[in-house]
Amino acid sequence: MSAAGWFLHSQFLTSVSIAGPWCAAAFLAGYRRHARTIGCIAAFVSIAASAALLQDAPKGESLYQALMLLYSCLTFGATLLLPRRDSTAGTIGGILFLLGSTLLAYSTRNLLVLLVAWILSMVPFLWAGWFRGRPWRPLAGLLLSGLSLALAIAAMLSRTRVASIDALKGQNPGGLATFGLLVIAVVFRKGLCPVHVWVADAAEGDPAVPTALLLNGHFGALLVAKLVVPLFPRLDTLFPVLSYLAIATALYVAIRALGENSPRRLLAFLALSQSACILSGLESRTPEGIAGAIVHWFVVSISTVSLFGILRLLEVRFGENLTASKHLGLVEHAPRLALSFMIFGLALVGLPGTLGFCSQDLLIHGALTSHPLTGLLLPIATAMNAVSFFRLFSRLFLGKHRTGFTVTADALPRERWILAAGVLFVVLGGLFPNTIVIRHSAEVDIVEHSVRNSAGPHLPRTVNAVATVAVEPKSEKWRSSEELDVE
Amino acid sequence: MNLSHAILVFVVLAPGVVFGILALLWLLGWTLGEHALSWITSLTFSACACGVATLAWTIAFRSEVTVTFGNWFAVGDYHFPLVLLADRLSLPFLALTAVLSGLIGQFSATYLHRESGFLRFFLLLHLFAFGSLLAFAAGSFDLLAAGWEVVGITSVLLIAFFQLRPSPVENGLRVFGIYRACDIGLLVGVFLLHHWARTASFDHGFPQVTGVQAVIVSLLFLLAASGKAAQVPFSGWLPRAMEGPTPSSAIFYGAISIHAGAYLLLRAQPLLAQSVLASALVILIGLGTAVHGTIVGRASADAKTSLAYATLTQVGVVFIEIGLGWRWLAVAHILGNATVRTMQYLRAPSMLHDYHQMHSAIGGEVSGTGKQIEDLLPERLQLWLYRWAFDRGHLDTILDRCVIDPLMHVSAYLAKHDRMGTAWTEVRQHTVAPVSLEGPARQRGD
Repeated sequence: MSAAGWFLHSQFLTSVSIAGPWCAAAFLAGYRRHARTIGCIAAFVSIAASAALLQDAPKGESLYQALMLLYSCLTFGATLLLPRRDSTAGTIGGILFLLGSTLLAYSTRNLLVLLVAWILSMVPFLWAGWFRGRPWRPLAGLLLSGLSLALAIAAMLSRTRVASIDALKGQNPGGLATFGLLVIAVVFRKGLCPVHVWVADAAEGDPAVPTALLLNGHFGALLVAKLVVPLFPRLDTLFPVLSYLAIATALYVAIRALGENSPRRLLAFLALSQSACILSGLESRTPEGIAGAIVHWFVVSISTVSLFGILRLLEVRFGENLTASKHLGLVEHAPRLALSFMIFGLALVGLPGTLGFCSQDLLIHGALTSHPLTGLLLPIATAMNAVSFFRLFSRLFLGKHRTGFTVTADALPRERWILAAGVLFVVLGGLFPNTIVIRHSAEVDIVEHSVRNSAGPHLPRTVNAVATVAVEPKSEKWRSSEELDVE
Repeated sequence: MNLSHAILVFVVLAPGVVFGILALLWLLGWTLGEHALSWITSLTFSACACGVATLAWTIAFRSEVTVTFGNWFAVGDYHFPLVLLADRLSLPFLALTAVLSGLIGQFSATYLHRESGFLRFFLLLHLFAFGSLLAFAAGSFDLLAAGWEVVGITSVLLIAFFQLRPSPVENGLRVFGIYRACDIGLLVGVFLLHHWARTASFDHGFPQVTGVQAVIVSLLFLLAASGKAAQVPFSGWLPRAMEGPTPSSAIFYGAISIHAGAYLLLRAQPLLAQSVLASALVILIGLGTAVHGTIVGRASADAKTSLAYATLTQVGVVFIEIGLGWRWLAVAHILGNATVRTMQYLRAPSMLHDYHQMHSAIGGEVSGTGKQIEDLLPERLQLWLYRWAFDRGHLDTILDRCVIDPLMHVSAYLAKHDRMGTAWTEVRQHTVAPVSLEGPARQRGD
């Protein structure tokens, strides 16, 4: 293999994307200066490696590479968006550690590595010296999710002695008990009802931006796409449980958000309610539902991290006790932050002109096809979320002529650029959604055929469709490169 | 793509493109002056009006102009078609939007002179015109819903135009809530059309559905149309919407937005024709609204609210006409009502001046006849009706008590439930202490 070929080899690129942030985090533990610069460089390395991976991935088999690129970009943006007060070596190091762990979880095809990545991603939030806040629920929620996953993987390994996810595909390893443990892990990690409160507690009590990054790893959805659906196709009659839990969460949390006055908790509820829809789309087992879920994953991640980032900037500049119980009228002093907040919020709740509209459209249509009740309830949850968001926006930014401020506390240049990039993504994505949607619809279509053959003709078409999202069969191109490597 | 296709695309996209360019310039820190903005607006809408006139000439010789761009996005069997359609139904609405938007632009250049939100108003006017033109020229219900939502959000942002006062902002929030609740009908209706008929396009014939399916979709569309057209029981938002600047009230609640609901029903006429129940309900809602509007309008103390209720009464009558299947009468009625109401709204701020001018012209005062239809009723009933009308039919109270209060109670109950266990720990509870008035610490973010 040539030197250039070796550098572009997928395993090398994956290693770089994961090890880069971890090395930077370790470096920051000793050298505590220039934290933001080091964080940006490390995140940029991950972006470059993930982009190369995505570029090299065959069409229709690039989901996890795309997610790696998304998460690296999110971390890069979050590092730039952090106010100076928060951009300490500890915080940046924690964010980079989280980035490395999340990329490891996205990229692995091994059960044990997935478990390790899952646990590592929780570490910054379990350690009091890092991001762990005073609330106990986030700690409990994360620990229980890790415990459930560990038990499920132990059960699978004890039955099959195989740790490869590809090899276990369609095998129902561990049967119903393992399936149940995996669902419990999803429920705890995603914060589905009735354990949703830890998400709001984390958003309020822990640092805002790192918590947003933790939530937007969407490990619950990852587990569904990577393990639950592909490994247990014969338990497909139980899959709707996930969908019902998701829609119950979306509705419950949407109602809960209507009366919430703490901006951080309110945003956490909105993010939770909207991200629950991802699960519903993945479980719908229809091409449009799955494609909608994947696009929604992108929209929710970008919008939520940006909204939490803007809220943190407002807290730093206007005082930490912001509230949605009365009008604060911040728009005069922070017009660009207000506009960005509005656009990201509209994208989150799926209004036209943003990518959120397309993802919601696909999601609801997919959900309606597989579970009509879920499909009918999703727009109701979304409508309530839209009202809650507009209430938060109007209370924070409008309704009052503030006096006493002589300085505009709007976005700084570095914040403007990163917010503009996010806004461009959700708006241009909304105007030209095909570039994003088609990539994933092709993915759904291509893997659908390959898994239908491997999982058996008795499976319904829709089950195969979702199963394939996680499988990523190797293409000829990749196979040949690996063979060359062996030679 | 021939000339008429290009013109249709231009008419729909021009305001959207102007909005995009103006917004981008603002974001880059380059704000156009009032004169330039006014000039650009005039030019855009004049061109649109000319375009619509050309389309009208084309349609006089053939039934419709259809432009198909393929799909906005497509996955599996599902696709979101991008089809623009100008036919004899959509053309009057396109003309109305192009002409009245230009008129409002011209009027507002003077009316909002040196207003701090001058640019914001013109940005939203262009966005609104784009949303309306998209909704009226849509060849599928999917695209109509997209334009419909754009109209809704611009409407709310213009109600909250005077953004530093709490009252417009709160009223904007209320209107937004009602819009979102009713728009569920349109969205679910479109999804069901896709689900049952495999398409929501009407450029090549209407989607074929069975009788029961037609009833369900019609009722869902009726919900959306009632919300947008402020029909009973959603009429309570209309007086709240008068918080916006007068030109926006004129074009939204006198002309375009208020009639969008009627347009939706006109578009869905084949579905209504299949469903006696839905048609009857349309008539009933229209009748209720007409009666409600005429009674409440008599007790309204301010000019804009009186005009709003007068418009509402006429829209109620339009609904009756649609329910009865008198399609072209409804279209003519909408055109007349929209034009007259726009003129009345725009003259409302100078109503006293006009009144005095009229008195001068006739050389004395116009005395009232003193005869009102309600005089025929018993006095107790008159008083009861007055109280009822004064509270605008108690519609807001009913909505509060039946929908909003229960939801908020449930939310409060859930919040209480969520807090279980926090007493064991030292979780920082959220307080509603006033915001720090010390100002931003430093411009650099610390």
